[in-house]
Amino acid sequence: MADVARVPGVWEQIRLVAGLRWRILRNGLRKKNNQWDLIGMIFAGVFASLFVLGLCLAFYFGAYTFLSGGHEAWIAFLFWGIFLFWQLVPIFTAGFGAGFEFRTLLRFPLSLRAFYLIGLAYGLSDFAAVASSCWLIAMIIGASVANPSVLPSMLLISALFLLMNITLERMIGSWLERILARRRSREIFFAIFILLAVSLQFLNPLLQRYGRAAQPWARQLLPYLSVFPPSLAGQAIAGAAQNHFTDTLIGVAGISAYALLFSVFLWMRFATQYRGEELSETAAPARTVVRPVSQTAEHSDALRLLSPQVAAVLRKEFRYLTRNSFAFFLLIMPPVFVLLFTTQFAGRHPTATRHPVSTELFFPGMMAYLLLILMAPAYNSFAYDGKGIQTFFTSPVSFREVFLGKNLLQAGMLAFELSLSMAAFSYLVGLPSLPVLLATLAAIVFNVTGQLAIANWSSLSFPRKLNFGQMRGQRQSGMAVLVSFGTQILLGCISAPILFMSRWTGDKWLPAEVFAFLAAAAIAGYSSSLDPLAVLAEKKKETLIEALSR
Amino acid sequence: MTEAAIVTQRLTRRFGNLTAVDSVDLTVGAGQFFGFLGPNGAGKSTTIKMLTGLLAPSSGRAQLLGLDFAEHPVEVKRQIGVVPEGMGLFERLTGAEYLQFVGRMYGLDRPTTQRRSEELLDFMQLSDRPKTLIADYSHGMQKKLALAAAVIHGPRILFLDEPFEGVDALAAGALKALLGRMTERGVTIFLTSHVLEIVERLCSHVAIIHKGRLVAQGSLEELRAGIAGEEGSKTTLEQIFLSIVGQDGAQQPQLEELSWLM
Repeated sequence: MADVARVPGVWEQIRLVAGLRWRILRNGLRKKNNQWDLIGMIFAGVFASLFVLGLCLAFYFGAYTFLSGGHEAWIAFLFWGIFLFWQLVPIFTAGFGAGFEFRTLLRFPLSLRAFYLIGLAYGLSDFAAVASSCWLIAMIIGASVANPSVLPSMLLISALFLLMNITLERMIGSWLERILARRRSREIFFAIFILLAVSLQFLNPLLQRYGRAAQPWARQLLPYLSVFPPSLAGQAIAGAAQNHFTDTLIGVAGISAYALLFSVFLWMRFATQYRGEELSETAAPARTVVRPVSQTAEHSDALRLLSPQVAAVLRKEFRYLTRNSFAFFLLIMPPVFVLLFTTQFAGRHPTATRHPVSTELFFPGMMAYLLLILMAPAYNSFAYDGKGIQTFFTSPVSFREVFLGKNLLQAGMLAFELSLSMAAFSYLVGLPSLPVLLATLAAIVFNVTGQLAIANWSSLSFPRKLNFGQMRGQRQSGMAVLVSFGTQILLGCISAPILFMSRWTGDKWLPAEVFAFLAAAAIAGYSSSLDPLAVLAEKKKETLIEALSR
Repeated sequence: MTEAAIVTQRLTRRFGNLTAVDSVDLTVGAGQFFGFLGPNGAGKSTTIKMLTGLLAPSSGRAQLLGLDFAEHPVEVKRQIGVVPEGMGLFERLTGAEYLQFVGRMYGLDRPTTQRRSEELLDFMQLSDRPKTLIADYSHGMQKKLALAAAVIHGPRILFLDEPFEGVDALAAGALKALLGRMTERGVTIFLTSHVLEIVERLCSHVAIIHKGRLVAQGSLEELRAGIAGEEGSKTTLEQIFLSIVGQDGAQQPQLEELSWLM
């Protein structure tokens, strides 16, 4: 018999879990690298407090105004606001990555009931839950000041609403945890998120064009919202204020039914976890099967002009690009931005300006903007290599080859993306005059080669590991971002006056000639930078391996 | 003494005030199966990193196959294979893609790389999942793949950091046989492991590092002969290790303190 004197109670276990979370946070901040995070957290804490307090006032006055002004049913809008915030914010802050999993507590002697209650309590510690609870309290006070007779109903409805929201949020959270435990589903989820973010860019132009036509259709949908918990809560409060107790009863019964339903689903979900659930993505033991003909046989070598090492790095980088949902979906952005900005600023009927911007100005500006997006990953080019960085150092190659392979892929990807964007641009608004087109192309070569030399140095000097298919904690090194912006601003400051030279001198071909010269100089500079960078890589290898192998 | 494959002279590595490896003079003969032992934090991994180009020494020299590492890093790396700590795999490649990548990085031609990759994947029992990413491999499968990558170019020295950790008994047996054959053909194997029985069974020569200093080096017979008493010839490697490393007494955990467990 183990020496367990007594089984700790549920509240003691909750207190222990809260203490554990606090220590994880505190010890994490003791790391030297996380000192800046602490300052960031203090700032974020101040802003979050101001945000919550500000909205507390808004919810107080909202509830007060609706109940004192005879618009009791409108309090449903406030419940809707809290409901959406409570349910959506945790999904976005989940970051599509694994965090502290309270499931790991199952190794301890917990009953299912205790596990369920700890799970609920865990849900209450989210920022969204804390903020929403504050706003509910503000609503209770506001409504009670306006009409003291609704206080008991407000307390009851708010308690039920709170219970329903925690249960629903935990249910969604535990299902998300189940789904996102697998790398593939995490990446698909992430891809959908990126597509949604891209789609949102089109919301404003679409609303401007079709907003009026969609209004009647939206009005028809409104009555169906009355069966959802926030509307039921509003209905119950309005009933209490107007002495229509049937409405109050229906509201209370409705929210209770939702809370009960979600509780049953959550209990079932937690019970599955409690019994033991395999979430790992490790492959099952190998089956003995006849080995199929190799899927990776490459009969023709399109890269035969390159050295084997450069070709190997280029192939590896291409495979990494196609398997990195975040980087891969970023490639959709340039043509989408061309589409978005041309409809807003160029063409015959721009939506954001009265007169279209001249193609002679718009085209170079658009290309510069796309370069800004597409070059950013080059400043931390080892980010996704992880522990594999050691292979570069144990292999008999110079980092000259490694950089050449990585940069060739970057340049090839840029060429493809910019060609696609130019084709879209040409189709939508037409290309600029030949001197401007050639000047822009030469400027791109100058900018890209110049940036690659500096980006290679940045990648060695300020490495930061990034993980595939994750958002949480996926920040570039602050210095790499600074170097990136500094370089782009510097090159922009050089390029912009040259583009305007033709206006000042009247010579249309002068910018193209100057940029061609600068591009040749940048290529020479890039080429001569590779050997010193290889030497620097040797000096920096410990920092690189340490930063990327974590 | 056979021709030396690895020679270090006063090899030292400091991290700030801490001297992780302190003036290590090591000699490993060509074709030896060499075990490099030491308790946790003794300096084993730091030494291996310096011998494989993953870490620059603070002072001292390392010569591999007669070449000074600092002066001829690329030539030395062509001759050695490494399974580094953490394995150093590109986890978003498949096993076959990774082996092809490594083969090409060592300058093997494409048909050779292709053929050897397939043979190694077969040998390691990894060929039935051609599309599975390394990220989705189990720990043992990753270890086997790292071993395959370390030998694809036919190295003359092989550095293995805990090679059998997480590998199933079936594969471990085949691997041991393979490594034995390699030493017969003159390949030098430099191995670290905490499982002393494995080291005792495989290795002909052993060195022990403790607190950054080399405290013993020689063949197993030589080390046994160094143990006092009539039973020296029957002494196990574990007893030798404990007698050398545990000499300062402070390292030995005191079981009396855990009397409530016994």
